[in-house]
Amino acid sequence: MIARPLSLRTRLTLWYVAVLGVLLLLYAALVFGFQYAVLTRQMFHDEVQDVVTAEGLLYFDSQGVLQLHQNYYSRPTSHLLVDRLMEALDLSGHILYESPTLHGMMLGGRLQHGEGDTGFNERIVRLRDGTYVLIVSHIHTLDGVTMVIRLGYSLGPLRERMLQFLILLLVTVPAALLVAGVAGQLIARRGLRPLEKMASRAEGITASNLHDRLQIDNPNDELGQMARVFNHLLERLDQAFRQMKRFTADAAHELRAPLASIRTTSEVALGKSGSESQYKEALANILEETGRLNETIDGLLLLARAEASQPGQDQSVFSATELVNEVLSVLSVLIEEKQISVLQDGDMTGEPTTIRADRPLLRIAFMNVLHNAVKFSPRRSTLRIVWACGKEEVRITVGDQGPGIPTGEEEKVFDRFFTSSSPATAQGSGTGLGLSIAKLVVNRAGGRIWFEPGQSGASCILAIPTFTERLASQ
Amino acid sequence: MMRTESNQDMSPARPRILIIEDDRRMSEALLCGIEAAGYDVTSASSAEEGFFLLHRSHPDLLVLDLTLPQRNGLEILQQIRTERIDVRVLILTSHNTVEDRVTGLRSGADDYLGKPFSFPELLARIDALLRRVLPLSTSTSFNIGDLTLDTKTRTASRSGRPIDLTVREFDLLLYLAENRGRTVSREMLASDVWRESSRFTPIDNVIDVQIARLRRKIDDPYPLKLLQTVRGIGFSLREPQP
Repeated sequence: MIARPLSLRTRLTLWYVAVLGVLLLLYAALVFGFQYAVLTRQMFHDEVQDVVTAEGLLYFDSQGVLQLHQNYYSRPTSHLLVDRLMEALDLSGHILYESPTLHGMMLGGRLQHGEGDTGFNERIVRLRDGTYVLIVSHIHTLDGVTMVIRLGYSLGPLRERMLQFLILLLVTVPAALLVAGVAGQLIARRGLRPLEKMASRAEGITASNLHDRLQIDNPNDELGQMARVFNHLLERLDQAFRQMKRFTADAAHELRAPLASIRTTSEVALGKSGSESQYKEALANILEETGRLNETIDGLLLLARAEASQPGQDQSVFSATELVNEVLSVLSVLIEEKQISVLQDGDMTGEPTTIRADRPLLRIAFMNVLHNAVKFSPRRSTLRIVWACGKEEVRITVGDQGPGIPTGEEEKVFDRFFTSSSPATAQGSGTGLGLSIAKLVVNRAGGRIWFEPGQSGASCILAIPTFTERLASQ
Repeated sequence: MMRTESNQDMSPARPRILIIEDDRRMSEALLCGIEAAGYDVTSASSAEEGFFLLHRSHPDLLVLDLTLPQRNGLEILQQIRTERIDVRVLILTSHNTVEDRVTGLRSGADDYLGKPFSFPELLARIDALLRRVLPLSTSTSFNIGDLTLDTKTRTASRSGRPIDLTVREFDLLLYLAENRGRTVSREMLASDVWRESSRFTPIDNVIDVQIARLRRKIDDPYPLKLLQTVRGIGFSLREPQP
């Protein structure tokens, strides 16, 4: 059988039961050890007391045999009489007295060196019949005879009790674990129920109902937070999706317009018999339209490329000033033709304008922005390029004296295929992708691009993070 | 070896071009256009037919479409290179990314043109590929009508009067002169004169203005106009036919 991955609930329960089991076993071991130690100590104290008592009851009878007064105890069944194991040896090792409970067995074997010298030596001995006994030894002098008195109780009853205790523990620990496991499973199920609900709801969300959201029961707990995060993700996806849909529709429209023109031109040209020059005119028109189509497709592919590019990929380090001057030199013929004067000023000497980006893409961005400025500049006007180079970013302001951007359209001009409502700017607009590409590229380079509102003429600002060695080493 | 021998058999030797292209219309247009440019052209619509013709007629140049119905154009290219068939290959494809270009050139193509291309550019590429074996013209001056260009001193004059040109204007005029009699498309100018890698730039606008300025300098003062606009296609430097 293939082991299936366990559910989170079961895994949580298993972990919890395992930890609990270890803790309980540790606890049981501690309790058991403590109990055993306490009982053993108790037994030792009993024995010490009993030795003192027994020493008072020993006497030599008329034959000189050591005897123990039996009549001290009121009841003959006193456990001290029944359980007590006792022997007395003289210093040469001869047994002077032996309690009847020993049934002739030696209690402690041969005398050990220094036995009973200091207080009450305790040790565990094994009798011939296999019984373990905890004995204490004590030196006692009676009627001029020095003897070692050994007294002990069998450990059997104690061990038997401890064994019962152990069995009790071993039975109750698994039972407790079982109960804990079942309870844990139930609690986990209850706790994770909102998650299941969320999962089944999320499962139902597809491209067609991206606007659906997860229900948030308690926004402050972990599941609520998760649901919130998930909803934000859905929100972004939904937005991107809607944008994509609109973009596809716009792109289709944008591609269809030249197609329609091609079709109509061809149909009209074929429908009537015309002169060779008329046919040539029609074909040239068609060719120009295919050029428009091609440009739109190139723009779309460029957008796709810029969008797919990973941050850090294809990047190089270069000077923004150099790039702008390169673009200006390409556009110089247009600038000269319209007799526009280009003024570059600002903090050009301070911080270097080194930036890091995909140079060919950024070049296209600058080309689009600067070409727009040139295109909308009136003849003999001034095009201002203001540099502000800070530690964080290079800020380039491109200001023209053209018609400017209508109020409220400062953001929209970056939309794909956006066409301005203003007749002054709608004239001569290109594919409608130039600024979108510029924005995407600048954003990819970690910068921002926007039009400053309320200016006479359009004022486009490009802010691109400066590249420093310090940043590079991070 | 075979190629040079067969070239000697038939004279005058018109370079032979084989087109492998599955799109019938495209194939017809290419055949017609390339033939009009003075080449001996045959076409095939599938890889098998193409191979047959390749072995039979030993063309000098193969114009190969990469997206063919049964076999990928790249496979054909690889087979041509393994069989060591002596033919130059110009690839046409609509997969026009840098990676595709690199794969194509690595597989043994001599040149690569992305669809849609401008036809003058295709002709220019074909000429360039076939010229590779012929000795290059070493002349340092061009004459179109009464217009003279000296590539050594980088000066131009018309009817003996020198024309003051900027660097870019001279480059543009030189490029047009090198392709004299032929039409040069904006794409060609963008990539060969302006060295722009991307087509998505407002470069067409720049080209148009630059051409207008050049025209003012070389044509406006003279009754005979040499620099002509071919609508929808591009520009051409030539003596006008009477």
